[in-house]
Amino acid sequence: MLRVVKPKNARSKRAMLAREPQEVEPPKTCIFVKGTSTGERLNGVLKDLMSLKRPNAVSFSKKNAVHPFESTDSFTFWSQKNDASLFLVGTHSKKRPHDLTFIRMYDYRVLEMLELGVEAYTPMSAFSGRKPPPGHRPLMTFDSPLFDTHPRFQQVKSLLLDLFNGAEIDAICLAGLEHVVQVSLAPPPPGFTNESTSSAELPLIHVRCYAMRFLASGQRTPRVELEPIGPSLDVSLRRSSPADEDLWRQATKRRKMEKRDVEHGLGKKRKNLAVDEGGDLIGRVHVGKQDLGKLQGRKVKALKEERTKRRKVDHDEEEEE
Amino acid sequence: MDVSDLLRAGASKQKSIQVEKGIPLDIDIAYLTATDPNPMDEEEYKNEREEYLHSMARENAQLLINHLFSLPVTSSPDGPIAQLPPPTTSLPRAKPLPKPKPPTRWEKFAAAKGIQKKRRENKVWDEEKQVFRDRWGRGGKNKELEEQWLVEVPQNAPMDYDPVKEARDAKTKRIAKNEGQRLKNIQRAARAKSSTSQLNPGQEREKLKVQLDRDLAQTRVSTASMGKFDKKFEGEAKLRGVKRQFDPNEKSVEAEKATSLAIMSKLDTGRPSKRSKGDNDDVLNVRKAIRHESRKGGQPRRDSQGRVKRK
Repeated sequence: MLRVVKPKNARSKRAMLAREPQEVEPPKTCIFVKGTSTGERLNGVLKDLMSLKRPNAVSFSKKNAVHPFESTDSFTFWSQKNDASLFLVGTHSKKRPHDLTFIRMYDYRVLEMLELGVEAYTPMSAFSGRKPPPGHRPLMTFDSPLFDTHPRFQQVKSLLLDLFNGAEIDAICLAGLEHVVQVSLAPPPPGFTNESTSSAELPLIHVRCYAMRFLASGQRTPRVELEPIGPSLDVSLRRSSPADEDLWRQATKRRKMEKRDVEHGLGKKRKNLAVDEGGDLIGRVHVGKQDLGKLQGRKVKALKEERTKRRKVDHDEEEEE
Repeated sequence: MDVSDLLRAGASKQKSIQVEKGIPLDIDIAYLTATDPNPMDEEEYKNEREEYLHSMARENAQLLINHLFSLPVTSSPDGPIAQLPPPTTSLPRAKPLPKPKPPTRWEKFAAAKGIQKKRRENKVWDEEKQVFRDRWGRGGKNKELEEQWLVEVPQNAPMDYDPVKEARDAKTKRIAKNEGQRLKNIQRAARAKSSTSQLNPGQEREKLKVQLDRDLAQTRVSTASMGKFDKKFEGEAKLRGVKRQFDPNEKSVEAEKATSLAIMSKLDTGRPSKRSKGDNDDVLNVRKAIRHESRKGGQPRRDSQGRVKRK
């Protein structure tokens, strides 16, 4: 446990307030953790996924002796320390080569874990497409009916969605749409049913990223063209620990917001606004410092520029013509 | 000049934005996400996987873009901004919902009395100086008494009466009192939090209900006429006191045995009874004994009329 700190100044108080639970949460921060022995492949995967997740990403690039399915103490601690609620852990062992573990936290506790094996990987640097700048939200497509029906793939969808697009927004700038993340499945093997859960029976997951280009279509909606930008990942499902039902129910609880709140920026604090006795909304605006040099004083004859002078100049000009 | 041919020729060069799908996509536009329920074409997947995935991604992205561009838009210097509806997929939160701040003692009282919160302006009008001054802080109005150059000393003031010190002490005392109240509010909130966590919502509600009934009964007899001349409401139940119950004088041997055994078992446990408070283990109530002994030797007890009380 971290010690309880009392803020000593206004800045640290604000920082602590920002960490407290909020009605509308900011985007989740993800920590990318490197295990004790990660190969080139895992390093690349972590680096590329982090570049897509930036700026809400933290890299733990030193060797960390972590085994998520054995002990989760480190993650609880890191989560509190960094105020992060997602983890991507890369570990490599003989038994489970190129292991990528998603961990999702709730209230600084581990909510669920999912282990993936990276079977094939092409880095971002191998593609020539235009990479998205940090902070842009991707479009996401999940191309299989299993993402809605099979519990393991539902978890995959939920986690990937949370990683890239988790924050709730109420508007998006259409010119800022840059890339697409596609998650698709290989055709399921012959013996596959919705109840099968062993890793051998489950199909591979393909994760692909594309840059979007908008072409004129003669209509308001443009035609979309895609260009691969990487990373392109083929991953298989391994172990998983699904969320505890009670905890999940707590975590997905939403306060029913009043319509007024929704209209006024989703429960955010309204500053510099007040309603007066007549019921009118009054806003306070900071207008900057007034430039008194340009102030128009009283119009007195004595303060005016001499008229005769001006006239004289005019006459002179006329005469020249 | 007829330009329709030219337009048609131009349009034919532009590619279509229409996409044919067997089953329509499941789109959650708040998360910019589409789920494609259509099964995969295994033949194409086997032969040219990347091309197939690429074309599938393009189609689905196009459908998402079509959906996005059909949403209501507001303009901005950076381009059109699409207004998104609330999401349909539920993702877990990172932290629990914020809890409402526990009300302070004053807030509770104000709510019960229906007192509206009024904002107190920091500036106060100074009648003497004819300016607005800060209520507190540097040059604040609350320091007025301390900073006066001439103070009227009360008639019965002691010799060492220091009006400045007096005023300053009074202010310090007020501040200390306020701080004490603040700390008590925090303590009360913590206590309430710890007590609520042990009961489940149902029990909590039941407990509240009983407490409320008890409070209501108390208030009904708390008027000058002990509730006799109060206005009765429609459907108001009659107040009932506690009904005392007595065991019958004669009861069966079995029942009598059971009661006696129950008493015996209580005696046997060696647990302190509920009445004896705290940690004194011995049977003797020392304070009571001292009181008893001291009364014996001293003055006899007298009642309000001054008569000696007899036992």
